[in-house]
Amino acid sequence: MQTLIDSRMTMPDFIAALFDKLDLAGVAAMTKLPSGEKAAYTLLTDKDDIEDCVPYFPAMPANAARAVSKFTRQAPPSKQVAVFLRPCELRALTELVKIKQAAVDNLLIIGFDCAGVFPFSKIRLSDELKLKEYREAVAKGKNCEGIRPVCSACTRFVPEGADIAISFIGRNLDEPLVLSFPSEKGKEAAKTLGLDSSSKVEASPAVDSLAEERGGAEKKLTEKIEEALSGTDGLISVFDKCISCHACSHVCPICYCKNCYFESQTFEYFPESYFTRMREKGALRLPVDRVLFHLGRLSHMGLSCVACGMCEDACPVNIPVSQIFKTAGAKAQALFGYIPGKNRDEPLPLLTFSERELEEFED
Amino acid sequence: MADQKTEKIIVAFLCNWCTFTAADLAGTSRLKYAPNIRIVKVMCSSRVDPVFILKPLLDGADGVLIGGCAPGDCHYSKGTFYARRKIALAKTLAGSMGLDPRRIRLSWIPASEGPRFARVVNEFTKQIEALGDNPAKREVYI
Amino acid sequence: MAATNKANMDEVGMNKGIWVEGRAKKKVLEFLNGLLNSKKLEAVLMPATNRTKDSYSWFLMGKDGLLESADPFPPVMTTQGARAVSYLTKKGRAWKKTAVLLRPCELRATIELAKIRQVELENLVLISFDCPGAYPLEKYFNGDQKKLDEAFDACLSKQAELEGARAVCSICNRFTGRGADIEIGLIGGEAKGFWLIPGSREGEDLLEGVTGSASHKLEAREKAISELRAQREEKRKQTLDSFQETVKGPENLMRVLSSCINCHNCSRVCPICFCRECYFDSKALSSEADAMLQRAQRKNGLRLPPDLLLFHLGRMTHMSISCVSCGACEDACPADVPVSMLFSLAGRNTQAVFEYEPGRSLEEAVPYTVFKFEELKDFEAPYIKEYSKEQ
Repeated sequence: MQTLIDSRMTMPDFIAALFDKLDLAGVAAMTKLPSGEKAAYTLLTDKDDIEDCVPYFPAMPANAARAVSKFTRQAPPSKQVAVFLRPCELRALTELVKIKQAAVDNLLIIGFDCAGVFPFSKIRLSDELKLKEYREAVAKGKNCEGIRPVCSACTRFVPEGADIAISFIGRNLDEPLVLSFPSEKGKEAAKTLGLDSSSKVEASPAVDSLAEERGGAEKKLTEKIEEALSGTDGLISVFDKCISCHACSHVCPICYCKNCYFESQTFEYFPESYFTRMREKGALRLPVDRVLFHLGRLSHMGLSCVACGMCEDACPVNIPVSQIFKTAGAKAQALFGYIPGKNRDEPLPLLTFSERELEEFED
Repeated sequence: MADQKTEKIIVAFLCNWCTFTAADLAGTSRLKYAPNIRIVKVMCSSRVDPVFILKPLLDGADGVLIGGCAPGDCHYSKGTFYARRKIALAKTLAGSMGLDPRRIRLSWIPASEGPRFARVVNEFTKQIEALGDNPAKREVYI
Repeated sequence: MAATNKANMDEVGMNKGIWVEGRAKKKVLEFLNGLLNSKKLEAVLMPATNRTKDSYSWFLMGKDGLLESADPFPPVMTTQGARAVSYLTKKGRAWKKTAVLLRPCELRATIELAKIRQVELENLVLISFDCPGAYPLEKYFNGDQKKLDEAFDACLSKQAELEGARAVCSICNRFTGRGADIEIGLIGGEAKGFWLIPGSREGEDLLEGVTGSASHKLEAREKAISELRAQREEKRKQTLDSFQETVKGPENLMRVLSSCINCHNCSRVCPICFCRECYFDSKALSSEADAMLQRAQRKNGLRLPPDLLLFHLGRMTHMSISCVSCGACEDACPADVPVSMLFSLAGRNTQAVFEYEPGRSLEEAVPYTVFKFEELKDFEAPYIKEYSKEQ
């Protein structure tokens, strides 16, 4: 358990202090858009612009790991940039670093407890009632009504691998921030910010109660998905409405391939193939390989799935993609005892092995 | 639902250096084995991406066999260890997504063991016959 | 559909329609099954309900007959039909004589794709119908499907506006299947029946032997169509004009796009956007972190991932000339951006420059691929104008 300290700074003060004392080149966080209704993940370089920053705004229009990947993949910044990330975004970033799609050099990672996000089309900055409910839920350590289904079943809502972590479950969002500094980089920043000798704060019991509620929800979600996916019939029914737009993969923080295998020529067939297959079955559904896409994608990224819920939000036909991927992903991860986003130095399961293992799968 | 009338089809991905040679040996030794397998030669069992296994299963093949060199004997030294992880992943995913993982089999068959190849094919064919037709075979809506 | 047949369309004429009495859906399926049985056709590509019966998908069906759930007039557009045709024939002509049932906008997109060689029309018989529009996917999946289906069926034969149709459908002015090898004429049939109207020699051949009464009411149909078209054209003009005001200026445009999450799903389902590797997903648009910081500094903030507006405007330059206003983009948008309205507007304006109507005719080349020596004077720099005066 990291030591929690009282920073005596509210969020705006904290961001201003980061700019002032750490000589930052920029901050990336959810920020109000000029239209006033929506917020988006934005890179800001000027202290004067930070008043529109709303890091906690409970929406995820893009998994920020994808944004950070775009930002750092070609070359990381030459001066320090602070990035605000939700725990699942941070986990996704950790996975992306492993596959060299993002770099954390010169990034100061600020993580914060996550009470979940609403589906992005269901929340606006002006939805005061919803946001009030959300704040109350945060203070009580309860699930807020209407958040993404995978969020309400997420048990990893405390940041892992951040330089500075903000603890807010069980607290009031407008009060001074309660911080911890898990990394060396973070401890250094604490020193520079003059926070290394601040007064200690007790962990909130709301964290445990939320973990318990979420644990129960996770179990229920798993049972529901397992039941839906029993047998080939279940598999076909679950993906029956899929229109093969691949939106789920295009918003997935882990699916980084520029040329997706499932959009390659491999899956384009000569007319003969279509007609032959039609003859065998009497009728052939187009586009083909619809179910294969999901299973195949799962085999490609399921081990790194952080259950962020982007896929489900982006699905235009309401398939519970992220609930399925969370459930099936967890089983695959358990096979190798792998926890995605836990540790930057832990290799991906398919890139390593031990000589004596998995003997039940061979003969 | 076992349907003995239709011939079961097993797609086999065989490593060039061991199992494929073992299959060759079984043939030249005039060993009899079930005619249900359709062999795809790969240069190493670790070349078999889980998608290669899922694709035939969804398109109606009744079983998928992967044959490679025994752990430690890999022509490229470490391939089989990676292969085992990939197959373990494929079987686990198949199981959690409503496909029958028993339709996937990983066997280590050295190049010199033609009889073992014939035995594995016969055994697996029998097992697949007991499982019956892959429900995806005639599924129009897949 | 053989390209040469298209030129004969006019001389085949519109007066050869065969009047078929009865429920259109049932009769059309009987007609297709008949063609399959007589081997005039070897396959049909058309929509049918999916397994759980709550949506539609494309099916290639053969000599054993159509699926019972086949539906020539689906109330929603899941996969754009031109895409389905492209899946089938992108790598070569259809193996067997195949009929394809398409909405008018799907037909137009198919013709556009044929021009850019993403579809091969040989061996295909294109059949289209008077389309009452389609429901938004979201509405159909969350609503009372039985009621929606009934309302849709009622609209099929009448001229009534489909209540709750997609915005882009309610301003569609090219709602008939004209241009297809066989046009299924529903408008003017007053729910008693419909016409099968050949649009090419091939269509005529297939209609040979179809029994029906003389098409004495075709004039009534033409009249009903032109009335509806006039109404829709007026509505289209008004709607697009007022939408143009809504998006005037970068600030207003950004407001309309503010909920966009930059997922590019609009382009992924667009029948015209065929590129396997989209320029806007390419490395050309990626840059180093420091360059992005500079951009952020210049503009007081840079939204990540960047280039959202560039994507939409750029995509417009790439495909708006061929935009058939099918609405697939908006159906697939997870963030409720009025993409189809935006692109319909862009398309109207760019198509007008070249007097081009996408999907009108195979012979009409995509404007980008041809030029006239003397044209578009309004767009030239004064120097050229001066120069030509001196000549």
